[in-house]
Amino acid sequence: MVTSDIYKKEYDVIIVGGGATGAGAARDCALRGLSVLLVERNDYSTGATGRNHGLMHSGARYAVTDSESASECISENMILRRIARHCVEETDGLFITLPEDDLQYQQTFVEACKHAGIRADIIDPQEAHSIEPAVNPKLIGAVRVPDASIDPFRLTVANLLDARMHGAETLNYHEVEGLIINQNRVEGVKLLNKRNGEHVEVHSRVVVNAAGIWGQRIAQQAGVNISMFPARGALLIFGHRVNNMVINRCRKPANADILVPDDTVCVIGTTSDRIPIETVDDMRVTREEVDILLKEGVKIAPSLATTRIIRAYAGVRPLVASDDDPSGRSISRGIVCLDHAKRDGLEGLITITGGKMMTYRLMGEIATNAVCAKLGNTAPCVTANQPLPGSEPDAPDQRDATKRYSFGQRAAIGRHGSLAARIEKDNDIDNALVCECEGVTVGEIKYAVHQLHVHNLVNLRRRTRVGMGTCQGKLCSCRAASLMGEFNGNVKAAQEDLAAFLDERWKGMRPVAWGDTLREAQLTSMIYEGLCGLDMAVNMEGKEDVQ
Amino acid sequence: MAERMQTCNLSENNFEQCTKCSICTTVCPVAAVTTDYPGPKQAGPDGERYRLKDPAYFDKALKLCLNCKRCEVACPSGVHIADIIQQARMRASEGKRASLRDTMLANTDLLGTVANLVAPVANTTLGLSPTKLVMHSVMAIDKHRTFPAYSRQKFTTWFKRHAAKEQDAYRQHVSYFHGCYVNYNFPKLGQDLVKILNAIGYGVHLLDKEQCCGVALIANGLYKQAKRQARTNIDNIRTSMNRDHRVVLTTSSSCTFNMRDEYPSMLGIDNADVRDNINLATRFIYNLVDEEKIKLIFKQNYKRRLAYHTACHMQRMGWQLYSIELLRMIPGLDLIELEQECCGISGTYGFKKENYERSQAIGSILFKSIEEAQVEAVTTDCETCKWQIEMSTGLPVENPISVLADALDVEATRRANGVF
Amino acid sequence: MRMDTVIMGGGLSGLACGISLAKRGKRVTIVASGQSTMFFNGGSMELLGCVNGKTIENPLEAIASLPESHPYHKVGVDRIASIAERVKLLFSDSGIDMTGSANANHWRITPMGIAKPAWLTLNDHLRIDDLNQLPAKRLALMCIRGYFDQPNSMLAQGLRNLGFEVDMIEFTTDDITALRRSPSEMRATSLAKHLVSNNALQRIADQFNNLAGNADMVLMPSVFGQSDSSDFQTLQARTNKPLRLVATLPPSVAGMRMMKQLRHYFKMLGGTYLMGDTALSGTFDGDRLTSITTAKLADMPLKADNFVLATGSFISRGLKADFERVYEPILGVDVDADADPEQWTRFGVLQPQAYFGYGVATDNQLRCLKQGKPIQNLRAIGSVLSGHDAVKMGDGTGVSLLTAIAAADQIRENK
Repeated sequence: MVTSDIYKKEYDVIIVGGGATGAGAARDCALRGLSVLLVERNDYSTGATGRNHGLMHSGARYAVTDSESASECISENMILRRIARHCVEETDGLFITLPEDDLQYQQTFVEACKHAGIRADIIDPQEAHSIEPAVNPKLIGAVRVPDASIDPFRLTVANLLDARMHGAETLNYHEVEGLIINQNRVEGVKLLNKRNGEHVEVHSRVVVNAAGIWGQRIAQQAGVNISMFPARGALLIFGHRVNNMVINRCRKPANADILVPDDTVCVIGTTSDRIPIETVDDMRVTREEVDILLKEGVKIAPSLATTRIIRAYAGVRPLVASDDDPSGRSISRGIVCLDHAKRDGLEGLITITGGKMMTYRLMGEIATNAVCAKLGNTAPCVTANQPLPGSEPDAPDQRDATKRYSFGQRAAIGRHGSLAARIEKDNDIDNALVCECEGVTVGEIKYAVHQLHVHNLVNLRRRTRVGMGTCQGKLCSCRAASLMGEFNGNVKAAQEDLAAFLDERWKGMRPVAWGDTLREAQLTSMIYEGLCGLDMAVNMEGKEDVQ
Repeated sequence: MAERMQTCNLSENNFEQCTKCSICTTVCPVAAVTTDYPGPKQAGPDGERYRLKDPAYFDKALKLCLNCKRCEVACPSGVHIADIIQQARMRASEGKRASLRDTMLANTDLLGTVANLVAPVANTTLGLSPTKLVMHSVMAIDKHRTFPAYSRQKFTTWFKRHAAKEQDAYRQHVSYFHGCYVNYNFPKLGQDLVKILNAIGYGVHLLDKEQCCGVALIANGLYKQAKRQARTNIDNIRTSMNRDHRVVLTTSSSCTFNMRDEYPSMLGIDNADVRDNINLATRFIYNLVDEEKIKLIFKQNYKRRLAYHTACHMQRMGWQLYSIELLRMIPGLDLIELEQECCGISGTYGFKKENYERSQAIGSILFKSIEEAQVEAVTTDCETCKWQIEMSTGLPVENPISVLADALDVEATRRANGVF
Repeated sequence: MRMDTVIMGGGLSGLACGISLAKRGKRVTIVASGQSTMFFNGGSMELLGCVNGKTIENPLEAIASLPESHPYHKVGVDRIASIAERVKLLFSDSGIDMTGSANANHWRITPMGIAKPAWLTLNDHLRIDDLNQLPAKRLALMCIRGYFDQPNSMLAQGLRNLGFEVDMIEFTTDDITALRRSPSEMRATSLAKHLVSNNALQRIADQFNNLAGNADMVLMPSVFGQSDSSDFQTLQARTNKPLRLVATLPPSVAGMRMMKQLRHYFKMLGGTYLMGDTALSGTFDGDRLTSITTAKLADMPLKADNFVLATGSFISRGLKADFERVYEPILGVDVDADADPEQWTRFGVLQPQAYFGYGVATDNQLRCLKQGKPIQNLRAIGSVLSGHDAVKMGDGTGVSLLTAIAAADQIRENK
């Protein structure tokens, strides 16, 4: 459907926010037969969804402090293994006790896990070291749990794809400027199309606020108050995997105590700082944060001290103050679903927040239940049983050594599961690599541009991993920009997009710009500025960061 | 910040330091002639990130790598690209058996022992077209290949009969790791070395025990056997060094490179204590001249025009300088230094039927430059380059030590060094 | 092993310096830690392109007003013109055909179709002397099907912005199609290796002659001539319109070729080039460097009367930065760099980045300083020098070449 037709329709539900939660809610609503529009102000998964560890918690981390969250996690963990196979890597995790930690805690931890229904096996520290050689060899205790690694970008896209296959409409780069309120009833949203500056109103019977930390602003626009307490966490990405299992510290949650293998890289995090709500859009990482992450990280895996860091990033957890304690002293990490009709006397608005990327499906289900209750829909939730697109049972296995897949095809199957079949691969040009670090082919880029709502290179990166390897887009971004320019026919825009992409890459590289990362940055500048003169072609002054 | 943290990002093979600049791809001789090989960048650092994620990402095309190390020489970041590739092959081959053909080619010493016993027969048989056809079809050894001729008498036999006795009389002593080629195919090179070293006052001795250095075993995936032989060699070299106080000289760049650099990186054999004592003869002799410890006197009216080919492993060691400088000391020798290009044989690689055409295509640039150089012979430090160049250009190829021995006025040199 | 001069670094500056010295009969050894940044060159040399955002028309004139810390002042502003002439000679002696003038920049065309000021450009590459007098009206931009290191539409748009009429014409030949079977190895340099036979070049010329229509010049990516310009000349001879090349993304065929030619010339002059070796450390005797040790020659240090540090910037590992400091890793000579890591860089990828200006500190004779005192026989040249931002000023290759020859002169004069 063309965008202007999308605006004209009236929907059962409009979902605000294109993170995992919004996408999960859109899928659930669509599967229950509702007509759905999802709007996202930037690209999908730009908020907390795309700015965490990529860890599929077993729940063990919360077992001692928050057993409700822990139970939710393990149950969702088992569901995601079934429905999101192509987004999940079943790595298992270790909770290690170091000499500076209290080994007594291990017992408390294991009991709490058992209580929450999480398998937790104490194993010999030596055995832990042999199954995961990256782990600090000085460890004195180890517990094996069913942690795993999950790709939040893929997960979100798979939910959106499924929602669309079931009739939902989704729009990125559409910011909610206000809500349409009529006699204490929310009847739709006022939108700004950020790609062309157009203002429109779209009507619906219910609006779901799934905007994460930005949900406070959406609520304000409706005249209701939610007190969010943004907790910022910074993380570091290393150039390749040092570990193949998730490694946690077996102690009370603290700074930089989880190392997760994510696709071709590994990620250490996080720091945790309460920040003012006004600063939630500034995700630049400071040197102090890098310092903390490194100091703590090497305790988990000593080789991090000499492994190249390719970038740093930060995200904001949307923590919510309980309604009976607006001061924020008692903060819930659990899922919060507010029906503003009951809470504030405002009909037609539901806020779903709190929670974790990991429990997005459950959050979607809870929100959809609330929507259905309002609309009198009685269809049951099926999202826990129905595999996401790409994770169908017959999905090809990239590890199948008997098949003659090329490197690019194997990488693509790893990323898109059964949907990789949609990627053209019948001629040499479609099989040519654009991104050599991550094995992204021309065919995969075509697929992403034509079918996955890609408007710019950063979108393309989130859908395909273009530019996510160690060179951070040095070779591939020009190739990709050039291809995109040919698809869109707008060369000037392609150059600006290229500059914006390189700038976004630099934002993550700069906090760790020493050693080989600085060399990499210098080479990138030599190529794009010195050789190509990109700096003479585009003017970056005053460009809003709308990635 | 804790001390030493992030001062250098060094993991195995300097894998960290790859900036994906793609310079390595410009020198790969294999990627230049076939699209089946993904090139050193893809096969090495790019592929390695995926293999670290899951070994199943191993690509069978990696076996096309010659292990010539030209990518490593070109890399401005010091990444051991070829080592990354070879180690990936090694991991992927665990638990798999090598083919009969590969086992046969790899066991250069076993093949040599048998062949020496029946040298005239072996040379004829290996040269006969029906035999070649059988080898081509059954063994997958290419029919175009000429097997290097086997000598009637092994070098060690000659040495024990004709040279061993007098060696103790010299003032100083070295051990000689002769390698399979000298022992079975070309004892003359060993004899040349003994002649030169004796003339400058050095006695030459064999190691207590020597086995094939294993370069071909590694290339053919016979890692266990390679490790066993490497241990034997290093043990005996250690004995030479600690008990006899003798450095160990070689006349083969591949044996030298293998024992010095591939033993630790490919086979995990710790040779740190003896590595500096494994030396190429040309380097050893050059150094003695440079330090004015010895003098070389050459024949009068000696005139030759030769082209020096830098073998890939020689280039990887960075030692061509010594052979070239040593040869340049010979008055009347017009030496052309060829641009470094791979000859394509890479030990046993070019012997395999499936590699023959590729091997010749790789070498074609070198063959052309040899032709253009208009020389009477080629000189190089590697015996497999010798076979390839002789077969492909028709020109004779000599080791620099043989060139030196030929040009040396032995009596005058002995006198000049006070050797009687 | 004893030499007259040992040069650490085998890139553009190291080779230029080595050639100047070897030409005068000196025994010179160059230790080259792999290939150089010339592999990212676009077929041109730049003397000075831009100062404070202002495009420079006459580099010789503008050089005089550069800040004192700029390396050109250490060459001697009054000597720049004559040294620049000698660089041209050095190139032509090496078989590199370039054209340009030190007192009037011309324009080179970048892979993105942007005109950048340049001093010398290879004769087979497109260059524009005067933007008001284009060398052709209508260009046939020949785009190789399946080759992605040439952003064709950006290039075409850029050329149109300059006033050319541009026909974008996609083409291929059997040789090119065959090469594209490789998903990764269709680079400028691999095309240059494959497109060498007369038949392969004829097939391309046939395409040009068939497809170029009424254009009055054929433009095509710089993917010819891995060793010299003969492949280009063959192609030109068979093409019925004037033919020009335009730079591609790396690896650069032109850069690779120039390095080969310079290296060849250096060796012809009797120089020793140790490719793939790395200088590790040096031994000092008071204010003199007596020898250096390399990774591969190990126990045999290289001794020399004079040494030259031509190891390049961070990318070439001539400078290193760790979490806390910037330093020169081989000899530990002084560097000009901000002590506070926060100052090294700034957000905004296209903003000037301070680290580009970092480098080793030298006196006015290009002699390296160690703890503030000059090392009498150690000079630094090229990108390892502090005091200029090669990317923003467009003076990288100029600084490399001019300081190289100035250092060679100083070494000779000090004898």
